[in-house]
Amino acid sequence: MLSIKNLCASVDNKQILRGINLEVRAGEVHAIMGPNGSGKSTLASVLAGNEKFTVTDGSVEFLEQNLLELPIEDRARMGLFLGFQYPVEIPGVTMANFMKMAVNEQRKFRGEEPLSAGEFLRMMREKSAIVELDSKLTNRAVNEGFSGGEKKKNEIFQMAMLEPKLSVLDETDSGLDIDALRIVATGVTRLHNEQNATVVITHYQRLLDYIVPDYVHVLYKGRIIYTGDKTLALKLEKEGYDWLINDYKE
Amino acid sequence: MGLLDYLQEQGIDLESSGGIVTAADNSQVEVVINPNNLDVTVAENDRKSVLVLHTKADSSRMVFDVHPCASLRVVDVYLGGCFAESVVRQQAGSVCDITSVVTSGAVVDYMVDMNGKQASNALKSIFLSRGEEYCKVAVRVNHNYSDCTSNSLVKGVASGKSKGEFNGMVYVAQDAQRTDARQNSRNIELGGEAKIITKPQLEIYADDVKCSHGATVGQLDSEAILYMRQRGLSEMQARRLQIEGFAKDIVYSSSAFGDVLAEELNRFLEEI
Repeated sequence: MLSIKNLCASVDNKQILRGINLEVRAGEVHAIMGPNGSGKSTLASVLAGNEKFTVTDGSVEFLEQNLLELPIEDRARMGLFLGFQYPVEIPGVTMANFMKMAVNEQRKFRGEEPLSAGEFLRMMREKSAIVELDSKLTNRAVNEGFSGGEKKKNEIFQMAMLEPKLSVLDETDSGLDIDALRIVATGVTRLHNEQNATVVITHYQRLLDYIVPDYVHVLYKGRIIYTGDKTLALKLEKEGYDWLINDYKE
Repeated sequence: MGLLDYLQEQGIDLESSGGIVTAADNSQVEVVINPNNLDVTVAENDRKSVLVLHTKADSSRMVFDVHPCASLRVVDVYLGGCFAESVVRQQAGSVCDITSVVTSGAVVDYMVDMNGKQASNALKSIFLSRGEEYCKVAVRVNHNYSDCTSNSLVKGVASGKSKGEFNGMVYVAQDAQRTDARQNSRNIELGGEAKIITKPQLEIYADDVKCSHGATVGQLDSEAILYMRQRGLSEMQARRLQIEGFAKDIVYSSSAFGDVLAEELNRFLEEI
């Protein structure tokens, strides 16, 4: 589904990604861990198409297409979803209106008719239940005045609405209390199936108790330096990164 | 449906000087079209709603006299480049709400005189300019008596090579103690060639007052546009949605005409 080869990217002439290689197949869950500043969020941003970053080398294929030459919105319409680490507040734009446009743009891209108002409302109700998001929030402006937990639940709600093929969740667990973490993680797990794939970027093993990864990758200084199974996350939680990154220190 | 279609549907001849409509909230609204001179008086304890529509490049002078404890709602709409001057004279205990929407290169001047105690005024205005238009909204509120409240919020959006300007003044006389006056100017410049100048001012001679003013000029929020595009909206849609969101509280401050004013805003956005 996703094939990243030797991906290098920079921001403001500072090289952040230095040759990422990663294969993600349908049905898989990948966790990306690593110390702060290793390039995890940059990887997510580059995949989404954030124009702030410049790809300096390498290739990314998504569903047999060259992802890097597509604009942000086309990547999204094809089924790439980025759960933002810091979801943005958009004053005056209601969640309902925003989601209606997003869902219908995606349908248009696939050559489908827009949803009727009734179908859309039913979908909103059904999907907001998955993350226990108060349905009143969908009448409010996007993320405006939402608590930290509500913002993250709202990300997963949007993921549920858009039914992406590949979800990249950038530190969706940061800033969540125990209950919100459980709700968000359970939501992600419920949305996972054999046809889609999930990449979770996280600092904590906690999240991976719910979202059980097939692979755990350690990103350091812009490269994946180690890949293991779910037990790697447990080891990292206990022992930290030192045993892995010592060889790479300058 | 835009404002003109709506008024026609309500039986108003747009070539005439106006008439009466029953608005969406069931209130009776006096509609006045392209007045050169307009005098509106609201008698003591009475209430009135007026919609003034300016469609031509003309000049217009309007005077609103709001007698003690009377209440006036004004919706003032500019779809043509007009030079307009409004004077609102409020007596003790009166209330006046003004919603003003300017979608053309107009120069619109409001002066509110608080001529009695405990009067209250709320003015919400949005001006939108495009092409090479010049658009200006000026608001002066004179607090001449004590215990009055005023709250002005003027938003501006300039696109293309247009220029927008806000000039605000809150004047508080020496005897006007316990005045509560707020004035806010929020602006968005679309693109590098559009320009907005804002000048909020306070002139206070009383010592027991609550007054605040603020002004911002910015661009659209690029983070928000990125966020919306990541959900599949085009850049165009994301920009539009953000401008609509910015203008929304102003157009919907008129409960009676919120939807038709929102449609006027849409039409403007389609042409930029």
